[in-house]
Amino acid sequence: MNSFLSLIPRFAEAILVTLEVSLLAAFIGALGGFALNALRLRFPRWLAGPYRVYVWLVRGTPYLSQLVIVYFGLPVIGITMTAVQATIVSLAFYSAAYFAEIFRAGWASIPRGHMEAARAFGISRWSAFRSIEMPQAIAFAIPLLANQTILVIKESAVASIITVPELTMTASDIVASTYTYIAPYAMLIVCYWLLTQCIAVAARWAQALITPSRKTS
Amino acid sequence: MNPPDLLARCLGYLPQLLDGAITTLWLSAIAVACGFFAGIFIYMMSASKSRTLAAAARVYVSIFRGTPVLAQLLVFYYVPSGLGWAIPGVVAAAVGLSMNTAAYQSQILGTGFIAIPRGQIEAAQTFNLTRRQTLWHVEIPQVVALTLPALVSEMIDIVKASAVVSVIAVTDLMRVGQQLSSVSYRPLEVYTLAACFYLAITSLLSLAGRGIERRVARRA
Repeated sequence: MNSFLSLIPRFAEAILVTLEVSLLAAFIGALGGFALNALRLRFPRWLAGPYRVYVWLVRGTPYLSQLVIVYFGLPVIGITMTAVQATIVSLAFYSAAYFAEIFRAGWASIPRGHMEAARAFGISRWSAFRSIEMPQAIAFAIPLLANQTILVIKESAVASIITVPELTMTASDIVASTYTYIAPYAMLIVCYWLLTQCIAVAARWAQALITPSRKTS
Repeated sequence: MNPPDLLARCLGYLPQLLDGAITTLWLSAIAVACGFFAGIFIYMMSASKSRTLAAAARVYVSIFRGTPVLAQLLVFYYVPSGLGWAIPGVVAAAVGLSMNTAAYQSQILGTGFIAIPRGQIEAAQTFNLTRRQTLWHVEIPQVVALTLPALVSEMIDIVKASAVVSVIAVTDLMRVGQQLSSVSYRPLEVYTLAACFYLAITSLLSLAGRGIERRVARRA
């Protein structure tokens, strides 16, 4: 138990690195996914092909292979990044494809009649997007967005391979220097589990917060 | 860096990458197959009347879904060896991936089990089918047909998740890519080619899934 407690300071630091990397990447990825979906709605004809290829490439390959292409491959053509930068960039690029699909599902969940009614009332395309579609689509998407954020946190473990000092890297470091296996790895599992549960609880709370406003509208 | 050279080099990488791809494929196949049966078992536990069993199933699913595959694999590989019971990386990888996908598959299959009308199970009882016969001949064929799209996407996820087994010394596709890139000093082309292999596997799986789905839909 004592050895378990003595691990807490280093793991606390590592949790912050994991959170910083994955939440930043998820945030950029969500913005990118949102923008992609908005563009897709605005220019359906031009964007359909490239959008589908992007989603196909990102979802058809492991995140690890995208990370090593960004970190080890891109320097070949002169784009060099630190391990943390490469992780954030690749994780954002990766998650944007999933986030875009989530927003697409959100927009698909809105009944067609809403847009027809908005047009009949002479509401502009932009205010309809902002005040009619977006609140409904996002309320629909909250559980999916939270789930994707959890996936990003879990994928960020792979960054330990390129020596980002996040949770998994820290656990492996402690194992390598102390030759104790059980306590660091048990701690690792506990830390990730707590992180993902926190996100899940926060999402349920956010949804409960949003649902009443949907009923009155 | 003229194109013919690049093509010749890529052809040179192919045999080793193919070897790696085969390892990735059979490892994923074992994991998905074992995970299917384990997933049924976990679903049975979660649906059982015993509260202890149901709680154990919930904890299992929560832990495996709430933590990264990489962390799980490190536990399965290093903890036994730390206890003086070293196991080969391939075994740890197969066990780890199976137990991981079992958690997901139990959830997927659960949605199928719930969708089966109770009347069918009552009818099976009336015809004196044992619990096991009902499970294998009445419920599971329908559950598989109902959840096929989700099962195929889980297979694809496992192929992708299996890329991290390279960390515990399994020479899968990713690992071969790492070896080739450290020998050739050309990481961009090697890793891109490895990614193309993954893309081919996952695309074929999703095409096959759609084909089977259509056939199942026609028969129903």
